[in-house]
Amino acid sequence: MASTIHDKGAGRPVGLRLLDLLEAARELLWPARMAPLTPWLFLLPAVLLTGLLAAGLIPLLDASLRPLDRATFRLAEDYALGNYATLATRPVYGVIALRTLMAGLIVTAATLALAFPYAWMMVRTQHAWLRKLLLVSLFLPFFIGQVVRAYGWLIILGKQGLLNALLDGLGLPPSSLAFTYTAVLIGLVQYMLPFAVLMLAPALTAVPVEVELASASLGARPFATFRHILLPMARPGIVAAGIVVFTLTLTDFAMPEIMGGGGNDFIASAVYDAFFQLGDAGLGAALGIGLTLVGSAVVGVILAFFGLGTLGYVEGREERS
Amino acid sequence: MSEKTFSVSRRRLLTATAAGGAMLAAPWAWRRAAAQEKPRELIVRAWGGVWVDSLNEGVSKPFTEMTGIAVRHDLTEDNEIRPKIWAAVDQGRVPPIHVNWDTSTNATKSALRGVTEDLAGLPNLKEMLPAATPEGFDGVPLVNMYSYVYVLAYREAAFPDGPPESWDVLLDPRFKGRIALYDDGIGFHPVAQIAGGGTMAGVPGDMQPAWDFIRKVKEQQPLLGEDPDFTTWFQNGEIDVACTILSNARAARQNGIDVAWTVPKEGCKVDTDGMWIPKGLPGNELHWAKEYVNFAMSQQAQQKWTSGLGLPGLRPGLTPPEDLEGDPAFPTSPEDFERLLSVPTRVLVEHESDWFQKFNEIMQG
Repeated sequence: MASTIHDKGAGRPVGLRLLDLLEAARELLWPARMAPLTPWLFLLPAVLLTGLLAAGLIPLLDASLRPLDRATFRLAEDYALGNYATLATRPVYGVIALRTLMAGLIVTAATLALAFPYAWMMVRTQHAWLRKLLLVSLFLPFFIGQVVRAYGWLIILGKQGLLNALLDGLGLPPSSLAFTYTAVLIGLVQYMLPFAVLMLAPALTAVPVEVELASASLGARPFATFRHILLPMARPGIVAAGIVVFTLTLTDFAMPEIMGGGGNDFIASAVYDAFFQLGDAGLGAALGIGLTLVGSAVVGVILAFFGLGTLGYVEGREERS
Repeated sequence: MSEKTFSVSRRRLLTATAAGGAMLAAPWAWRRAAAQEKPRELIVRAWGGVWVDSLNEGVSKPFTEMTGIAVRHDLTEDNEIRPKIWAAVDQGRVPPIHVNWDTSTNATKSALRGVTEDLAGLPNLKEMLPAATPEGFDGVPLVNMYSYVYVLAYREAAFPDGPPESWDVLLDPRFKGRIALYDDGIGFHPVAQIAGGGTMAGVPGDMQPAWDFIRKVKEQQPLLGEDPDFTTWFQNGEIDVACTILSNARAARQNGIDVAWTVPKEGCKVDTDGMWIPKGLPGNELHWAKEYVNFAMSQQAQQKWTSGLGLPGLRPGLTPPEDLEGDPAFPTSPEDFERLLSVPTRVLVEHESDWFQKFNEIMQG
């Protein structure tokens, strides 16, 4: 049998001959001496993608340094810092940036607070029907776009909406939640919840249930178990979910546009207005660069504070080695 | 039915005549006929709702019936299509649309950028009022088609004593949170200038009265949106008063929504919309795009199109829609226009972006 396998002759099975061919091609394209570089090869798609995004920033940076010439409605040939000066001197951009950052923080905190028990319940429940119900409830919103969901919220929160009908039925005064900052935050939390749950669930699954049982058997109350066992062990998932929710909120456009009533713009709205309403691609590009820098800086601070290991890779490898 | 039969017969006759002429005039005429080969369709950018419906009924459908060329309406926002066209022309690509139905201000910006075709030779142009042709250009980069008024629209049930007489109604505490403006303040800047105690002579040099008035309006927590939002908000009982274009208020009323409109004592802003053709179209498509714009200026198209919109066309001799006859929001005489607030297009082109930014600064603050 062994001689058959190593036989290079015509009698070999076609499958094995094909494998030999592939092996030869691999040796030609990626010789054995290149083996130490193989892990980097797997990084190549990610590097290419990130490189593409970084390359896209170059024309954006270029445009951001060219003020608009209103005689021809073209960007000026010469570089100038006029667009950045506009961002710095017009208070409205500071207000919008602060509003967006605050929304990022509030939505992240609220989403994580709601997503954690949801994910825990989904992972730990012994009832198959409950797990299915939670999963279906989680995935259903994915089939409904953000815009439709935003309009759905307006139906609920509007002056003649379901909420006010309920309040009226209870003899309470009507609410004016629609088209407010609070409405935008509510819409965003609902939109972000599935993302957070999906990122927290694997982290919580990785926490052995026996650890929780051991904690309880040693006399820890549920909150102590949550604080000293679950929270630290699920930290990679919490940080990852927090980063995703925060950055998605920071760049969101639809919710503030639809639910904000025009007076609660986020940075993405300002970028849109600059590009399309004002026809000033330079100013829009400067805003885009600013948004990228702010988002990257915040994520950088989070990772610096918690450490890259919080995502569960570096520390894990160091511990094993 | 008889009209249709006549139309078809005439078309056949014209086609036969043209073909015969072409045969006699070869080879020059053959080349020209080839250059004017009919495209499968023309793409015309339009606004949605009553706007596209009126264009379709008044211009696009009859044009298709006459020429056999389908007209597809692209409802991309005017502000969003503009950078796409500009980029296409700059990069030497075929632009995404054949005809852009645009505000005169935006159209003028495109003309200044040099991306518009010259429409000077269109036969129907000489039948239009002088206001149809923009000043200060070599040639005719765009054609203004009609004027429109940003009226004070209101929910009748909220005004049992009759329509509001002044834009000051926006500051009435009763309507806090129940008023609406365009999200860039378009149509409202001159009105705010007058309502704030200023004069039109102060536009654009001294617009402090406008900004002061808009700051007071901001305290009233206005909703800011686009054309379709106003209809929805009136329908859902979210607002009682709004500054919007007459066509939107009229369409809402025709659809059974409790909306009326008025021209308050300070006046209303009047403006124009037009059509232009982007550079870079293949020769035959450019020819038929020009035919479309030319047809839009015809008596027949202007009458039906602008009646549908409820706006006065810029061609003399049009009959106003019955429901708008004598309405100050439907100006037809110089006296009517004197009651309205007009800002020259060149001022709008130069300053409107600043006004948008200033308005935004106040509303987002």
